[in-house]
Amino acid sequence: MKRKILRKIFGTLSFTGMLFVFQACYGAPQDMYRDIYIEGVVKSNKTSLPLSGIKVSVSNNQTSILTDEDGKFKIYTLPAPELLLKFEDIDEAQNGMFQSKDTLVKPNNKAVFITIGMDAK
Amino acid sequence: MRNKVSLYFFDRFKQNEAQIHELRYLFWECTQRCNLNCLHCGSDCVSDSSYKDMPFSDFLSAILPLKNVYKPDSINVIITGGEPLLRKDIGACGMALRENGFRWGIVTNGYAYNETIHKKLLASGMGSVTVSLDGLEENHNWLRGNNNSFSKAVRALELISSSNRLNYDVVTCVNNRNIYQLNELKEFLIRKNIKAWRLFTIAPIGRAQHNGDMVLGTEQLNFLMDFIAKSREEKNIDVKFSCEAYVGAYEKKVRPDYFFCRAGIHIASVLIDGSISACPNINRNYTQGNIYKDDFLKIWNQKFQIMRERSWTKKGICNSCKDYKHCNGGAMHLWDEKQENILYCIHHQITKA
Repeated sequence: MKRKILRKIFGTLSFTGMLFVFQACYGAPQDMYRDIYIEGVVKSNKTSLPLSGIKVSVSNNQTSILTDEDGKFKIYTLPAPELLLKFEDIDEAQNGMFQSKDTLVKPNNKAVFITIGMDAK
Repeated sequence: MRNKVSLYFFDRFKQNEAQIHELRYLFWECTQRCNLNCLHCGSDCVSDSSYKDMPFSDFLSAILPLKNVYKPDSINVIITGGEPLLRKDIGACGMALRENGFRWGIVTNGYAYNETIHKKLLASGMGSVTVSLDGLEENHNWLRGNNNSFSKAVRALELISSSNRLNYDVVTCVNNRNIYQLNELKEFLIRKNIKAWRLFTIAPIGRAQHNGDMVLGTEQLNFLMDFIAKSREEKNIDVKFSCEAYVGAYEKKVRPDYFFCRAGIHIASVLIDGSISACPNINRNYTQGNIYKDDFLKIWNQKFQIMRERSWTKKGICNSCKDYKHCNGGAMHLWDEKQENILYCIHHQITKA
């Protein structure tokens, strides 16, 4: 405890702005944590079965990912008041053919969990 | 007067931090394989390393106990190599780190960095990147030993700089061939919309110790310090000298803060063979333990004394140096196992002028 108090005193009196924002000589900068986490599952509206291989992309940056065999996806992206998520069936007839779908998400914290249903073409 | 006061208290801050030694920055040397053959490599990486890539589960299980002591998001895991992008599972490793609360970034030569990998790493929660660019095309390709390395590193930088998510910088190894090209390189980086640029010199360790021509002399070091100081005043790009050395009168002119080698104080590493150390470029005789035999957290808490109490470095040229109290023997990677003298002192070189 005493050391932590001294840390504040010495840090302040050294007039050093970013005491713990550093990087090692040959290392990368520190992550400034500018993202949010979106997790979800994509299912068929008709059968309720999970859909694998669906491309999930986020409109506000270049991030995209495919759903796994359980129809699940996890993705980090830039935070925004509203995020447009795009769901596209890109593997053609492999798991049936489904219409693309857009969903608007309004994140109110660092993580969002959603379930998406897609209609067959 | 203000500088003297601030330096005095920063010295006290460093001593206090060595006592607290909170882990904040953790290297993972996930592979020693590399797709380039750089002249200056500090780790003697090879295209076909005798070490197999470390299974991610080995690394993760070693560091998970940190969560019992630290907020994991206070720790940045920096994935390095070799070239980390030669592993196909970096995205999955990164996602698992984020799921456990840790933040992560990579150090890459950019050669394998393409749009597919960029998207995958961003989606996996990568937060920071460093890309090496060691001059304009001819000099970069010479140092990297590959005629395509410049164009591929630039492609990587274009992708990385287009993301608002990433905290990134370009790192340049300054040598006798590129030092008088730095202004052109700076203009090039500004045109590419690069925000941060870090310069370091070649220390006579690793492969570089056999390339003495690449180590800068007094005139070049002073030129470099003046270049960085002037560029920082211009504020067109955030240029800084790396934390590799104390630089005397240039302190705070070439970096936002004073020199502080945090190896073993805030920085640890898990190396390719499981060794527990600080920065990967530190002499491997300073290894403190091994994750395959020891508890990582216990080693961090109880060992590393040689890096936290550095009075043993007051020998050789450091013994008579009037700035020793600010420098404390410089950076750990500049000491070999003999512990007789610092291998290379930039401050000493600069003040020869």
